[in-house]
Amino acid sequence: MTNFKARCLILSCGNTLRSDDGIGPWLSEWARERFSHEPGVEVITRHQWTPDLAVDLSAAETALFIDCAIDIGPGEIQLKEVAPASADAILGSHHTDAPALLGLAEAYYSIAPRRALLLTIGAGSIELGETFSAVVQQALPAAQTRLEEAVASLLDRTLPR
Amino acid sequence: MSQTITIDPVTRLEGHGKITIQLDGQGKVAHAHFHVTQVRGFERFAEGRPFYEMPSLMARICGICPVSHLIASAKACEAIMSVRIPHTAAQLRRMLNLAQMVQSHALSFFYLSSPDLLLGMESDATKRHLFGVVAANPELGKAGVALRRFGQHIIELLGKKRIHPGWVVPGGVTEPLESAKRDEILALLPEAYKNIKLALDWYKKIADGFKAEAEVYANFPSHFLGLVNEDDSVEFTDGALRLIDPSGAIVEDGITAIQFPEVIGEAVEPYSYTKFAYYKPLGYPEGSYRVGPLARLNIAKTMGTPLADKELVEFKQLSAGPVQSSFYYHHARLVDILYGIEKIEEILTDEKILDTHVRAQAGVNRLEGAGQAEAPRGTLHHHYKVDDDGKIVWANLVIATGQNNNAMNKGVAQAASHYIKNGKFTDGALNRIEAVIRTFDPCLSCSTHAAGQMPLALSLVTPDGEVIDRLIR
Repeated sequence: MTNFKARCLILSCGNTLRSDDGIGPWLSEWARERFSHEPGVEVITRHQWTPDLAVDLSAAETALFIDCAIDIGPGEIQLKEVAPASADAILGSHHTDAPALLGLAEAYYSIAPRRALLLTIGAGSIELGETFSAVVQQALPAAQTRLEEAVASLLDRTLPR
Repeated sequence: MSQTITIDPVTRLEGHGKITIQLDGQGKVAHAHFHVTQVRGFERFAEGRPFYEMPSLMARICGICPVSHLIASAKACEAIMSVRIPHTAAQLRRMLNLAQMVQSHALSFFYLSSPDLLLGMESDATKRHLFGVVAANPELGKAGVALRRFGQHIIELLGKKRIHPGWVVPGGVTEPLESAKRDEILALLPEAYKNIKLALDWYKKIADGFKAEAEVYANFPSHFLGLVNEDDSVEFTDGALRLIDPSGAIVEDGITAIQFPEVIGEAVEPYSYTKFAYYKPLGYPEGSYRVGPLARLNIAKTMGTPLADKELVEFKQLSAGPVQSSFYYHHARLVDILYGIEKIEEILTDEKILDTHVRAQAGVNRLEGAGQAEAPRGTLHHHYKVDDDGKIVWANLVIATGQNNNAMNKGVAQAASHYIKNGKFTDGALNRIEAVIRTFDPCLSCSTHAAGQMPLALSLVTPDGEVIDRLIR
């Protein structure tokens, strides 16, 4: 039986100096507080996702990735299952995406989270700035709710308020 | 009819650059240039800022080697303050700089270059990355990932952030080391030793298979510059600079940071935003030299740590004098890592390492100051002038990549001349020319944000703009 370091690993990325690109770090830091009494929940906030995170993923039972997206509408919230990429996937040395990280964990350590979700919030602006666009600001409560639901789903139980 | 080949951008580098190769009417290489296509402007916008802000500001130049900028900048500020920092602070900074070197070298060797070395220069470009390494040698890949985490974790433990830590300040560091953190780092050492041994053993097994590459990968006589201690051992954070000539003879020694501009000049070329450093007595470009791992091992007579010293002896057997082929930057990089791990262990067992006096305080006592350190890819120099209020009125930075710039250009020309015949080239030839640049591990601009996948296009273009051949990655 595997001894997981985390039952649910929350892994965000983004640049807090590029407006809505900072939504991932903002949400994960909120999650750190929100789930501070949940011993199985761990949070890692990064500027970029790099290949070394495969080590953390290999020790997590489940994972929730959080990122900003530019291929969905501004303020739109999307939660979807994510699977490990195959070995044919292109892997960047400076930045990788969620499927590639899961694939790397599987390839190197022969284990990846049994289930992983990707929560994305559509960007209204990724220009220089430390505040969110109005549309993303408005979406924050809904994004927090989706994040809570995602963690509850990954932990397979209802979370206390 | 002459032709121009453009490689834009060059892949698996720290930043964005391109290569152009001009062919003559016979299809032979006439000129080759490595262009750095970003402009940053840090020296100019620092003007008017209080000098004590400089370390944090300058660290933002780079996301891979911010610690070197922090240290060189803090040392320049300390020259302005006329203070000597406490022993413990100096040791803690040295450890931080070494941790950064380990993680940066791990990125360069395992992530950026090992796909070429493990899978082959001519292998399928779509598989030349970490996944390809996983498939071919998972233990090597895991060792690289672990060594990078090792360095980054130490930076995070000491500086609270993996990138752009603010812990190094003019006068020392903001907080002493806690015993729990010391013990945590000590516990990481056995695995780090195991991983670098695995990498060195593997590299030595495959290196002979790259003798042909070593012949043409920036393989020419040059001067070398780097920091050394008074006992001729390698130094990354303090010490003074030594310059050796192609035969290994010392031509300049004990160069302090403030003396640097008396010895080293900077030239500009119209095709690059990076300057070209040169040894002033020889002028430009004759006075061009190399810095970084290869230079450090060529210059030092000892590493100063037992395991790395054994490796240095072996390294020096590659050549009767200084090792001239830039291919051996890879080898030197691994020896650097081993040295870094040993030195970190030595620093952590310093009986004063937990002392709480880690910062000296002072105001403006001089109107000019300079600092230097070894960044992973070579010597880094910061030089500032301030007004009576301590505001920066002038700043100049000489980075390692600028000091290797001429050698990189010559290396591209050398490799291109060898691998491009009659104006024709293959994807493998393209990769080999890029691989020459990768040996230097230039850091063009890690701190800028890139979106999406970097494409690579190489075109043969006639003087009137007609594209006659094209490869796209």
